[in-house]
Amino acid sequence: MTSRRPRTRADGLLAVFGLCLLVLLGSGCASHSDGTQSARSALDANNPKQALALYNKQLEVASEKELPKDTSGDNTVLILDRSMVLQQLEQYELSSRDLEVADKQIEVLDFSRQTIDDIGKYMFSDDTGPYKAPFYEKLLINTQNMLNYLGQGNLNGARIEARRLAVMQTFISDHEGKGAALAGPGSYLAGFAFEKSDQPQEALRYYDEALASGPFASLAPVIVRLGAKSSYRTPRIQKILDQAPPAEPAPSAEGSAPSEDTSGELLVVVNYGRVAAKVPKRIPIGLALTYASGIISPNDVGRANRLAAQGLVTWVNYPALGKSGSVSEPTLKVDGSPEPIELALSVEAEARKAWDEARGTLVASAITRLITRLVAGEATRKAAGGGLVGTLLSLGTQATLTATDVPDTRSWATLPARIGIARVRLPAGKHQVLVSVGKTEKQVTVDLTPKGWSVVSVTSLR
Amino acid sequence: MSIKIEKFLCTAVALSALVSGLSACGGPKAVRGSDVAGLDDEAMSTGLDRRDLQLMLHENMASLQTSALVKRWQGENRPAVAVLSMRNDTSEHIDSVLQALITEVETSLVNAGHVRVISRDSQPEMIAEVEKQQSDAFDASTVSRLGSQVGVRYFVTGRVYNADERQSGERRVQYFLFMRVLDVETGDILWQNSAAVTKAIVQ
Repeated sequence: MTSRRPRTRADGLLAVFGLCLLVLLGSGCASHSDGTQSARSALDANNPKQALALYNKQLEVASEKELPKDTSGDNTVLILDRSMVLQQLEQYELSSRDLEVADKQIEVLDFSRQTIDDIGKYMFSDDTGPYKAPFYEKLLINTQNMLNYLGQGNLNGARIEARRLAVMQTFISDHEGKGAALAGPGSYLAGFAFEKSDQPQEALRYYDEALASGPFASLAPVIVRLGAKSSYRTPRIQKILDQAPPAEPAPSAEGSAPSEDTSGELLVVVNYGRVAAKVPKRIPIGLALTYASGIISPNDVGRANRLAAQGLVTWVNYPALGKSGSVSEPTLKVDGSPEPIELALSVEAEARKAWDEARGTLVASAITRLITRLVAGEATRKAAGGGLVGTLLSLGTQATLTATDVPDTRSWATLPARIGIARVRLPAGKHQVLVSVGKTEKQVTVDLTPKGWSVVSVTSLR
Repeated sequence: MSIKIEKFLCTAVALSALVSGLSACGGPKAVRGSDVAGLDDEAMSTGLDRRDLQLMLHENMASLQTSALVKRWQGENRPAVAVLSMRNDTSEHIDSVLQALITEVETSLVNAGHVRVISRDSQPEMIAEVEKQQSDAFDASTVSRLGSQVGVRYFVTGRVYNADERQSGERRVQYFLFMRVLDVETGDILWQNSAAVTKAIVQ
């Protein structure tokens, strides 16, 4: 049993200084997006190797073959960033490893209860707490990893990611009522993985989900083929089957019998552009209160208005998506002939929509922090007994809290802005594939076996 | 005033010492399972670990040992058996764990002494060819052809699948290890059993 002594004014002062010291130790003044700016600039300059080196430096590892000692916290976001740079550099195995580590970390963060972090967010800044990935990032982790596995010809790995994606889709749909629009590319790739694993029923189920989020003209002949192998039907699948023209013989290699299907299939997936990074945005308190109306408590609205009238509060900082960069549409040529690329998903549009919906909550959080800061300053002044020392300490507290109030600009900064998919049936044999995205070109030779398949993945994060 | 400054300096020094002390004590360190009580008992994730595998394998092998098939084997003077890969139908990347499981099954069969186990290493290409044909429904004629080529009378095969559910703040993964023995000549399933374990992240 410990004895308690009455609190003195000196204790109050010590607490304030201790608080300031801890804050300064625990937080930097630069935002997360400031920290990744140089790597993003390297990607803008089409220099993914330099971007990779910069991410390795930030993660304090000697090379991309290493994971940081601590994969949690902000390192999780940096590992996510690095995974896509590795995908662009066609280091699919390492990209998969990074995505899987980040996937697990984000899951654990989702499950963690964060009383201390919530206090930090309330008093200081949103980015003092653990990273909470928005739903569109969570869904795209498994989608991108599926692509990594397909790029390596690993159907087993792709099927596992497809199942993980399905669990996440169900969870997000049940709890947030979101994510359906983002299912397109993931469900398409999952359908492909199960189709090529000779599991037509599962394949049709996933393709049907893809069709729910977009037209995907390239899927019509696939549905017809699979429809002959499986009895799985939905109104969408049945409609395609009903509209299907009589089956045509598949393209065959020279000299083979016309009825023999010697064709293979090429799937090209293009990740291009980047979702705009989050940036701190400054808006007048009046506009902030409008955005936060209905979310912020009437008590806080009253306090904010009083502080605004005293000239103590004029601006509010909150995290917002920055301006979108220009995105060049990709083109595909197979053996010199152009082939269409379908836009499977505009991640950028979905991300912007999600941020617009979340704006009120983010602004409300920023206003609450601002009020708390001013109240903390006033409490410090009173604790110091007023006078010159109290005023100085009050100003010091407010200055410290203001300096460390950095809006949470953490995000998956290398998340592609758009995903395009092309699918071509070709005679077995070698084929030249050329994908162009802006100034980036990727030329590969694919060698298709009869009834074989090949996935060409192109990532251009400019 | 001078007392306040003195107290502030003392506090600053004390806090610095505290911070340095904390950083010196923290950090990961390597440990040996035999030195840390219960290290192998604690679940680290929703993936499968050694203990889960042993639980499921033990249950399946106990079922096999009490089955009619073992009596048949005893009458056949140690027929040749090959253990094929266990198919991963889960939502977890546990392929390396499943590779280890094959060795565990082989060990269990060898030690039981009813059969001769044909090592996968002796005919890797043939075994790979058999595994390529592996699906929910084995084609009897393919099994027969490949079994004869590998030189075995029985195949032990199986798969791991799961029911993976997530709720707010929790995730539950129920794993099922399904195993069966096929007669190479007929393609008949002579024994099968399923064992389950559950892993979860709970609050």
